[in-house]
Amino acid sequence: MASANSAEAPASRPSGPQYLPSSVQGAVKILVTGPFGVGKTTLVGSLSEITPLRTEETMTAASSGVDDLTGRGDKTTTTVALDFGRITLNSRLALYLFGTPGQQRFWPLWDDLSRGALGAIAMVDLRRPDESFDVLGRLEEQRIPFAVAVNTFPDTPSYPEEELRSALDVLPEVPILYCDARDRRQSYDLLIDFVDHLHRSSLLELQP
Amino acid sequence: MNGPVRPYVITGGRSRPTRTDLAIESLVSALPGPLGLPEPPALPEHVLLNREHRRILGLCHSLLSVAEVAAHLGLPLGVVKVLVGDLWDLGAVQVLPPVPQAERLPTTLLEEVLVGLRQLR
Ligand SMILES: Nc1nc2c(ncn2[C@@H]2O[C@H](COP(=O)(O)OP(=O)(O)OP(=O)(O)O)[C@@H](O)[C@H]2O)c(=O)[nH]1
Ligand SMILES: [Mg+2]
Repeated sequence: MASANSAEAPASRPSGPQYLPSSVQGAVKILVTGPFGVGKTTLVGSLSEITPLRTEETMTAASSGVDDLTGRGDKTTTTVALDFGRITLNSRLALYLFGTPGQQRFWPLWDDLSRGALGAIAMVDLRRPDESFDVLGRLEEQRIPFAVAVNTFPDTPSYPEEELRSALDVLPEVPILYCDARDRRQSYDLLIDFVDHLHRSSLLELQP
Repeated sequence: MNGPVRPYVITGGRSRPTRTDLAIESLVSALPGPLGLPEPPALPEHVLLNREHRRILGLCHSLLSVAEVAAHLGLPLGVVKVLVGDLWDLGAVQVLPPVPQAERLPTTLLEEVLVGLRQLR
């Protein structure tokens, strides 16, 4: 499995396309979301086997809809940048990680981005937890399975879990995990804990 | 309804993929053919293979996701979905749809993800 990855990433050409093995049959995705500057790009970069990539989508805030494509007039056009990375899980399956901004003004894009996602990792900076309320609410509404990932900055205050849970207003079944997104091992442990949680939840659902 | 605005010219004025099931994680690769392009008679009237179609075919000689195609070509995601949709309709590319998921996630798929991640850790 590890060989599938290392063979794909020639260090000499970090910016050229790094193709998937031709044996791959499909991909799954997980969103990495949260407010501005919380560490989304950092986490995606720590987990990705490819040099993280950036793509953009333009979005208009006007009500005239998709068919008026001039982009002029009194519409506000916002460009949303998505950072993403990739993990080839085995010879058949790849996982994409999409760093998705969590602010309310980006919600027009959320349906499309989240369709089919295994789930979302909602990053929280405890120095400004209120900035995460928007996105936590959205994940609940859209019934996207998620975990809270507290990104640990040097001056991140620490709280007992119950206090944190009620401050963030997340349900008992939502895991609250911790990591330093700059650290590959911690980031992997976070992702594994999250998928383990999804897996265990799906087993519970199967029970009569 | 709010929605993404896509550059008009590149997509021939269409704002929607012809195949709505294209996702950002759908995997694309060019199918072998003369120059990787379909025979001219196969081209429906409204579709002209433009420069961006050809760039996609050139890039996708092996598997990449729609998102990777957009990033490498410097095009917005919505545009790439439309163009890949055209190429798919023409039989010029193969598209592997996202792994199918029901409302309830198949336990075996999550297990496969978990096993893969643990091995790579
Ligand atoms: N100490 C510490 N710093 C971090 C951590 N994660 C990210 N940072 C730093 O925080 C800053 C912002 O991180 P980004 O990854 O750019 O955050 P982002 O969420 O992608 O930001 P936007 O895309 O601008 O919304 C960077 O300077 C990172 O180096 C962490 O876990 N610990
Ligand atoms: Mg970022």
